[in-house]
Amino acid sequence: MFLEIKDLSVKIENKNILKSLNLNINKGEVHAIMGPNGSGKSTLANVLAGKEDYEILNGRINFKDNDLFDLNIEERAQEGMFLAFQYPVEIPGVNITPFLHSAINSKRKRMNEEEIDNLSFAKLLKSKASDLGINIDMLKRSVNTGFSGGEKKRYEILQMSILNPDLAILDETDSGLDIDALKIVTDGVNKLKTNDNSFLIITHYQKLLDYIKPDYVHVMVNGSIVKSGGSEIAAEIEKDGFQKFQ
Amino acid sequence: MNIQDNYIKNKKNIFFSENKDIQTHREKLINIFDNDRLDKKNNESLKNINLKNFIDFKYKYLISEETSVINNNQENSYSIVSVNGQCSSFKDDKIEITKILDEDYNDFSKNDTIENDDHFVNLNSLFLNSGFKIVIKKNNNIKIKISNIITDDDLTIFQKNNYICEEGSSLNLIEEYENKNNSTSNILNVIKLEKDSQLNHFLIQDNSPNHNLIITSHSSCKKDSTYTQKVYNFSEGYVRNFHYSELLEANSEADLQGIFFLKDNNLSNNKTFVKHLAEDCKSNQVYKGILNDSSKATYFSNTHVDQVAQKTEGYQLSKGILLSDNSSYFSKPELKIYADDVKCSHGSTIGPIDENAIFYLRSRGMSKTAATKILISSFINEELNSIDNEQMSEIIQKKLVRYLSKVK
Repeated sequence: MFLEIKDLSVKIENKNILKSLNLNINKGEVHAIMGPNGSGKSTLANVLAGKEDYEILNGRINFKDNDLFDLNIEERAQEGMFLAFQYPVEIPGVNITPFLHSAINSKRKRMNEEEIDNLSFAKLLKSKASDLGINIDMLKRSVNTGFSGGEKKRYEILQMSILNPDLAILDETDSGLDIDALKIVTDGVNKLKTNDNSFLIITHYQKLLDYIKPDYVHVMVNGSIVKSGGSEIAAEIEKDGFQKFQ
Repeated sequence: MNIQDNYIKNKKNIFFSENKDIQTHREKLINIFDNDRLDKKNNESLKNINLKNFIDFKYKYLISEETSVINNNQENSYSIVSVNGQCSSFKDDKIEITKILDEDYNDFSKNDTIENDDHFVNLNSLFLNSGFKIVIKKNNNIKIKISNIITDDDLTIFQKNNYICEEGSSLNLIEEYENKNNSTSNILNVIKLEKDSQLNHFLIQDNSPNHNLIITSHSSCKKDSTYTQKVYNFSEGYVRNFHYSELLEANSEADLQGIFFLKDNNLSNNKTFVKHLAEDCKSNQVYKGILNDSSKATYFSNTHVDQVAQKTEGYQLSKGILLSDNSSYFSKPELKIYADDVKCSHGSTIGPIDENAIFYLRSRGMSKTAATKILISSFINEELNSIDNEQMSEIIQKKLVRYLSKVK
């Protein structure tokens, strides 16, 4: 199993958020999690990425034969996990290019691969940015600083395509995107999709799933997955909302 | 030992002790200290520091006569090694360097517009034992680098330097303070900018834990002149940076900036004070601090706008990153505005490093230490990028790397 979440319960500040959650993802699969506001979708994404604000009450997570809780935040990233943030953090003064260069090399180092030099990295970055319709001038700016909502999401996908993760978690990447930006972002995801990597897509709406075809759709309500199935579930939600699952 | 006894004991070695006028002035100063009238509650020069440690000299007072080295290898560029607060005389058609004179002392101490409630400045006037005067002659464009060296161990220096930029002149001044021996330096720089002159003043402070540096400056700007001061404090010993500026005539500007990097149990007290005394003048006061371990800092910023100083622009900003729960940074901005057509602002932000930013960077594979370091560097990125002198930039970068190497 590529990612196995078993009986996971999580709380934050005395509030139970995830309750005995189970989820399995195999290599090459695209899973979508849909759910109403406050159902725990982003908590799941943050717990997977290693955010330290949460208290794990019960359960375990295996990722690529590792006990995920044995790995800290950066080790999870270096092992091939990537979280595209719902609200990417603005970091004034940290330039995009050296930051991403350092990020890719930290991963290569862990994998005992040769580090990528400045020139090769610049070429790679330029070509990936061009694929995503990102202006080269944007790469001279500070991380997410002064970016519009759409630019921030596009930049998340650029980072994803550079880091080429084994498991990408997209936390409401569609929110705040107009239809053109949504197409560019989802094209980027589809280009990256292979039989060796997996995606966990968190969204409220079916719209995103018109562009990225999931193998499985899960409905999450009140901290647990209450229904799993194929794309037909997304259509059902689009028609009737989440009410009937609650 | 009380201050009176200390004064009498050292009198014969104090500069200008034969001058009756100066004697009278000093006796008045002694009274301030002696009569227990020190306002420890409100006086900013007495906050977070034990003045007594500086009145009872920890180190010896008499300094030996030393010859400083002045090099003029490149055109318009001078390199000076000032030894124990002294500088040899030098003169060419662009600059003139002399010892400090009685008249320079009086010029400062009898100036009514200068605040006289800074007791470290008063101590400096009382026990003056070194100093020099540098005049940049009219319409010259000069670079000076001064390395302030203390050769004797266990020395107490009270140094007063006068800098005069004559009309139309421009001075780029780099001062280095890198002392490793037991000593205390109390330095007052009195800086005068005449009409249409400019001074870019960089102070690099990197002393060892056993050296105390108390540095004060009083700059005054006449019409169309600009004073820019940038302080980089990497010292492991105590440093006090108090810098006062007066905008005397129209279209003059003062820009007082500082960055301090503290660790261990170190303390740094900082103050900037800009007095707007004429119309159409601008001022900027920005201090940023990074505090690790149990270090502490204070920063008082003050803008005073006189009623004649219409169209004033005066900005203040204080920012601090606390890297440990035991570090603390106290910041107090103050504005006194008596004119009605002004643009003034102040801001102060102090707190731990942004945990969300750390999480974001780590989620891309960066270690916590690397993420912390990159965020510290980004915090002062603007200030580092604004250094237009390549040599200076390299020096600061090296010291920053050294500081960051201790950050976990």
